[in-house]
Amino acid sequence: MKNNMFNILKKELREMFRDKKSLSMMLIIPIFIPLLVIGMSALFESEINMPVTDYNTIGFDYELTDVEKNIIEELEINAVIDTVENLGEQLESGEIDLYVTKENNVYTINGDDSDTTTYASNLAESYFNAYKNYLQREYLVSHNVLSDEVLNIIVLEENITVEENYFASYIISYAFFFIIMAITVSATYPATDATAGEKERGTLETLLTFPIKSKDIIIGKFLSVSFSSMITGLLSLILTVISLKIANHMFTIYEGINLMLSLSSLIFAVIVIIAYSFLISGLCIAIASKSKSFKEAQSALTPLTFISFFPSMIIFMMGITTTNLYALIPFINYTLIFTDITSGIINYTHILLMLSSTIIIIAVVLKIIIKEYKSEKVLFG
Amino acid sequence: MLKAENIKKKFVKLTKKKERIEFYANNGISVEAHDGEIIGILGPNGAGKTTFLRIIAGILEPTSGTVTFDELNYHDNETEIKKNIAYLSGNTKIYNTLSCYELLHMCADIYGVEKKDAEARILEISKTLDMDTFLYNRIGSLSTGQTQRVNIARCLIHNPKYYILDEATSGLDIISSQIILNFIKNEKKKGKTILYSTHYMEEAENICDKVIMINKGVIIDEGTPEKIKKDTKTTNLRDAFFKLIEGDNYEE
Ligand SMILES: Nc1ncnc2c1ncn2[C@@H]1O[C@H](COP(=O)(O)OP(=O)(O)O)[C@@H](O)[C@H]1O
Ligand SMILES: [Mg+2]
Repeated sequence: MKNNMFNILKKELREMFRDKKSLSMMLIIPIFIPLLVIGMSALFESEINMPVTDYNTIGFDYELTDVEKNIIEELEINAVIDTVENLGEQLESGEIDLYVTKENNVYTINGDDSDTTTYASNLAESYFNAYKNYLQREYLVSHNVLSDEVLNIIVLEENITVEENYFASYIISYAFFFIIMAITVSATYPATDATAGEKERGTLETLLTFPIKSKDIIIGKFLSVSFSSMITGLLSLILTVISLKIANHMFTIYEGINLMLSLSSLIFAVIVIIAYSFLISGLCIAIASKSKSFKEAQSALTPLTFISFFPSMIIFMMGITTTNLYALIPFINYTLIFTDITSGIINYTHILLMLSSTIIIIAVVLKIIIKEYKSEKVLFG
Repeated sequence: MLKAENIKKKFVKLTKKKERIEFYANNGISVEAHDGEIIGILGPNGAGKTTFLRIIAGILEPTSGTVTFDELNYHDNETEIKKNIAYLSGNTKIYNTLSCYELLHMCADIYGVEKKDAEARILEISKTLDMDTFLYNRIGSLSTGQTQRVNIARCLIHNPKYYILDEATSGLDIISSQIILNFIKNEKKKGKTILYSTHYMEEAENICDKVIMINKGVIIDEGTPEKIKKDTKTTNLRDAFFKLIEGDNYEE
């Protein structure tokens, strides 16, 4: 009866695929991924490409010369001339985006902490650069100096290849956090159903009278939950890839870069997802089988959803890089290695450490549960 | 031969003041059942019947005492023993999402019934228990009586040597109960050993070779129904039982 583990696995899969709730947990959560990718890209894009009319209204508390007016027109600035007091009020009410005050040759740019002020102050700086440039040229010409030679005493050119796109790495990482979250959420339901659910429905007593070792019961259940969360994970990955491809074409912020993962990156991403699915399924089975009821199991598993992605998110925002030690720490190792993989770094040591840590944790957790499954605590605890 | 010796099982229960007190749900129960015997375990609710039968079926571990099946014990031969047992209780639940046929196939696989025999056996059992009309339906859609028939079918699938039946007829109508009682008699004829608990005394009187009366976790009398009636100078087991616990009450 070596194949009793498969009998349990078969039974669990059958139950899972016939249960509408299990099925929808497995398949529906990934659908949010395209929304996330497209939605966040649209948000980034709207921040970056703010139309100039949204922030070009600038106040001045002094009369402008014709030269100044020319530059203002060229830069599409919408100038408002008024007193300081009025300008202050207009800034507050949002009628103007910032205002400039002048005392002798000192100009002050006044603004608040709004987004439009930030954009407007960039515009104001361009304006003053142009104006200063004009005044300097005038001065040099009136003193008979060759102005171009002085003004262009050095020449600065930019040659920066934009391989590391800030938005690209952001969107890919967030998609990954969401995949991790989707796997976690989708593992909790079948894990609860297979343990606490079976207890609550009263079938566990029957199961325990069968000539099956508790090891086979637990491993069978563990594999079925892993299978379900893997489906969620892989479906999420597929949808991520598709929506990244769409976003790549749709938004100018990704212009000139390729959001597509290479084939080898994809293969390693799949490995990370499979490893994580196994880990989270083991943890969920362990926690849920210690619970008396379905409800208790569900609430015991809720914190896991946060633990699954929160530390990783912090690590990502702090810009920490993978070390051998980090590669061993569950949860954050998956994010770090995934981030490496998507930026083309494939470090076999790190991947091996991640896999070993996953296997060890699963083995320990399952061993504890198998031992407990023999005792009556499972049935009546 | 099935032999349980001096089985004790300690549980913890909470009092009104939320104090935890230990008590024995079984306090030294012994049973010996030979091939072809039906042993009735009788007693009121809370007597300790379910606890005892769960220990025999290997679902609970006794606090002390030993259980052996043909010299095998749970510690060393758990799966070996369980292969030869069928356990069925009045509120045994089975998998609602499976069809009867799938459930029986699964049980056949689990109990190691040869692949080639399983199919024929399922169809034969289905015929015997009159299950053909709903064999391919999901268990969740069946009536209580039909579900209990599926349960019996599941018990028969591996042709076990021992049946452990805990109030298997409780909550069933007379027709469904009769199906179960017939099944018990049939299996006895085949030389199977049956341990059978009930709180319906009349039912037990009819089919049991030997009866064990328990109350509050201890045996208050045992033997053939005739012997017990003679012991208590009564004409049926119900009166016998009341007589027996009357004495118990005086002692308290
Ligand atoms: N798992 C358990 N934990 C604590 N007490 C229990 C447990 N199972 C049964 N009991 C108690 O043991 C006593 C005997 O119960 P049981 O064996 O179910 O009796 P019966 O089947 O004869 O009605 C009852 O008082 C019951 O409350
Ligand atoms: Mg009972």
